[in-house]
Amino acid sequence: MDCKFVPSVCSYCGTGCGVLFEVIDGKINSTLPLKSYPVNQGKLCIKGWNLHEYINSFMRLKTPLIKEKGKFQKATWDEAIDYSATQFQKIKQDFGPDAIGVLVSAKITNEENYLAQKFTRAVIGTNNVDHCARL
Amino acid sequence: MTIINQVEQLITQNKVDIFLGYKALDGHLIPHGFTRDNLDELKDLQIGENRYSLEKIATHLTEKHPDIKIGIIARDCNQRALNLLYTWNQLNPDQIETVNVNCCPSPIKPHGDCSYLEPKHSGAFKKEHGIDFNMDTNTLLEDYDNSERFSRWMYEFSKCIKCYGCRNICPVCFCTECSLEHPSLVEPGTLPVEIPIFHLVRATHMAGRCIDCGLCEDACPSHIPLRLLYREVNEIVSTVFNYSPGGGIEKSPFTIIGDKVELKPKPMDDQIQGKK
Repeated sequence: MDCKFVPSVCSYCGTGCGVLFEVIDGKINSTLPLKSYPVNQGKLCIKGWNLHEYINSFMRLKTPLIKEKGKFQKATWDEAIDYSATQFQKIKQDFGPDAIGVLVSAKITNEENYLAQKFTRAVIGTNNVDHCARL
Repeated sequence: MTIINQVEQLITQNKVDIFLGYKALDGHLIPHGFTRDNLDELKDLQIGENRYSLEKIATHLTEKHPDIKIGIIARDCNQRALNLLYTWNQLNPDQIETVNVNCCPSPIKPHGDCSYLEPKHSGAFKKEHGIDFNMDTNTLLEDYDNSERFSRWMYEFSKCIKCYGCRNICPVCFCTECSLEHPSLVEPGTLPVEIPIFHLVRATHMAGRCIDCGLCEDACPSHIPLRLLYREVNEIVSTVFNYSPGGGIEKSPFTIIGDKVELKPKPMDDQIQGKK
């Protein structure tokens, strides 16, 4: 028997509310608002309150999938990254870098967003970079 | 004897399998389960002004391990919640050990050390159009007539974002089927939520249940004075049945209705009229 509480940040939107996972026997049992967190001050919206549901969902993807002949096949991370890199290079060669666009997210960190725009501008070579908050 | 010693004794003497207290982590005081396996962490046990519904966690633990013995840091509100959960057979008093600490003020216990629920700030707009957090049920009835009270409550309810936080955090909300999730009472997937039905459904269910811990009000993102609302419904329970939830381990009048027909509740109108 094991019961612990793990503070985290809600992954649903860019607000970044503090949540507390109630973990019983290694499984997240419920989500609570983190009372002393300055962003949400002990309050959550309905999505935050149900954060544990998608973590435990049987529909959650745990491995990358590659579409082969119209069907998704399970793949390892190395295979998936290799495949994406080759395809990106191919598109860039055939149609030019402006054929690629990158959408970043308010849900990832500032640093990850920085890396994503750097990758788009310096590696791919296009200014087609935007973020979900503009949608 | 310090609290840490008390807890250590409970754990080492096998009186409890797990002790639910608080410890500081990255500057946040969060609940923590102390067991025989992590006795060295016991020195980090702290009590602060952060309150979580430890008894609700205890019910979750009991669901998974029916025979588990649980120790709990208990403020007065925790103690009231425990009493209520005992009377509704959600927890077994033989399996619960409490270590009592000082608590917050409440009509049931007027003196307390916890400043967490000291007067809250209500803004000017809220004071003019809504309901001041710091009002009590009597001044609410004295100051506003029926229609004004109604419009003020409706203003408060109209802010609801239907997060279900009040229900989720409530230590005495344990029903497996919740009326607030019943599609014919509360239409799923629509916002704004139908008012005042949503809040009144919850308020009627809080009658004879609410132990006035104030966690719902703390968790409400829209600053609805829920504590006051539930105090209002419970005042009716208190005048009609002379029962205050969680005050002791006597059964709620709502558990014995049907067996004892001689119980004659007075009409509600007289109660309210009489008070005016």
